[in-house]
Amino acid sequence: MTELIVNLAASFVSTVCFALLFHVPRRHLWCCGVTGMLGWLVYWGMMQYQSSAVVASLVAVIPLALVTRIAAVIRKAPVTIFLIPGIFPLVPGAGIYYTAYSFITGDSAGFSTKGTETLKIAVALAMGIALVMSVPLKKPAHISKKSDR
Amino acid sequence: MNDRKKVLDFVTAAGETMLQNGAEVSRTQQTMEIMAKSFGVDGFHGYVLTNGLFTSVGSDEECPAQIRSVPQSTVHLGRVEAVNDLSRRIAGGAVNLDSAFQELEKIKNIPYVPASQQILCCGVGSAAFSILFGGVWQDGVIALFVGFLLQILLLKMSEWGVARLLTRFWGAIFVVGMTLVLFRTGMGINTDKAIIGALMPLVPGMALTLGIRDLIDGDFLSGVIRMLDALLTAACIACGAGLVLLLAAWISAGVMPL
Repeated sequence: MTELIVNLAASFVSTVCFALLFHVPRRHLWCCGVTGMLGWLVYWGMMQYQSSAVVASLVAVIPLALVTRIAAVIRKAPVTIFLIPGIFPLVPGAGIYYTAYSFITGDSAGFSTKGTETLKIAVALAMGIALVMSVPLKKPAHISKKSDR
Repeated sequence: MNDRKKVLDFVTAAGETMLQNGAEVSRTQQTMEIMAKSFGVDGFHGYVLTNGLFTSVGSDEECPAQIRSVPQSTVHLGRVEAVNDLSRRIAGGAVNLDSAFQELEKIKNIPYVPASQQILCCGVGSAAFSILFGGVWQDGVIALFVGFLLQILLLKMSEWGVARLLTRFWGAIFVVGMTLVLFRTGMGINTDKAIIGALMPLVPGMALTLGIRDLIDGDFLSGVIRMLDALLTAACIACGAGLVLLLAAWISAGVMPL
């Protein structure tokens, strides 16, 4: 339970901090935080049941992207504002480091495992976003054409 | 009926502002088209790339056209959102051309988050990430300090005009080096978690996300540019981190005296 709370808090805080680094307007910050938290919650939950970070990333990015689209419609702002900070916890930063680490230590098996995994996670994120963004959302009539993109 | 030359000026400037501050290609193009249409100009054409845009109105002999080169600069999503909001109000017919120019000028001058807050956020974000990736609080404290210093370094480097890819390389060198030095105090537990947390501000999450969105929208050229950017940035981080790790390994193996 404590672990869950720590995870939720840390993902929220980190996403909000990164949103600020991208100069997201303050009134949208909490939305970014919730997006990032949700993505991480699903990812973390998936990792409890199976061990593939690739699968977990794919499963986590789908609700995340969905929430950014909903937030974009409700808050009348571009999807990008929520998606860029929100996806950060899932971006394979650790993968990049471990790939470099195994390369340097001469662990060529680890290098290829970690390198492929990092690439696969990036592809999984891409697929997840593509899946969600290709679903047409029904727009409320009072919002102009491009508000849900 | 608005003067089409003036409308083109405005629409191009608005598109430039969006692109410069981190909007994706298709969104910039679409917003420009909607703005032009709302101002009653027909035959507007725009072609947008990651680092430049071309616009023209009409196809007769004297058709005005513009080209803008939009080099990569600091991302400011607040400005993207503001232009988006402006275009929505223009589409609603609430803003005329002159006041639209004024508003755009205001949007261009929306200030950046103060440096002190950026430094604070970078540190706290790094600490939160190192805990998120399985570090203990001691690792978080180290990532916090390294994050503070990293953002100071990044701000300084952008002041000096260092190329963006190189800032990632030097940033990674700094993060790994500094973390390893701080671990010599005996405070941290997991070196890797602290390093990964502090590396996160450098990671190309944004280029990856925008690249994917460009590709989905069918803007293959821009998408490939962004994806290549993401890949090169990741490679730069790996090189920087690897270099310092190698050095550290040599030192601890006694190849080099310390």
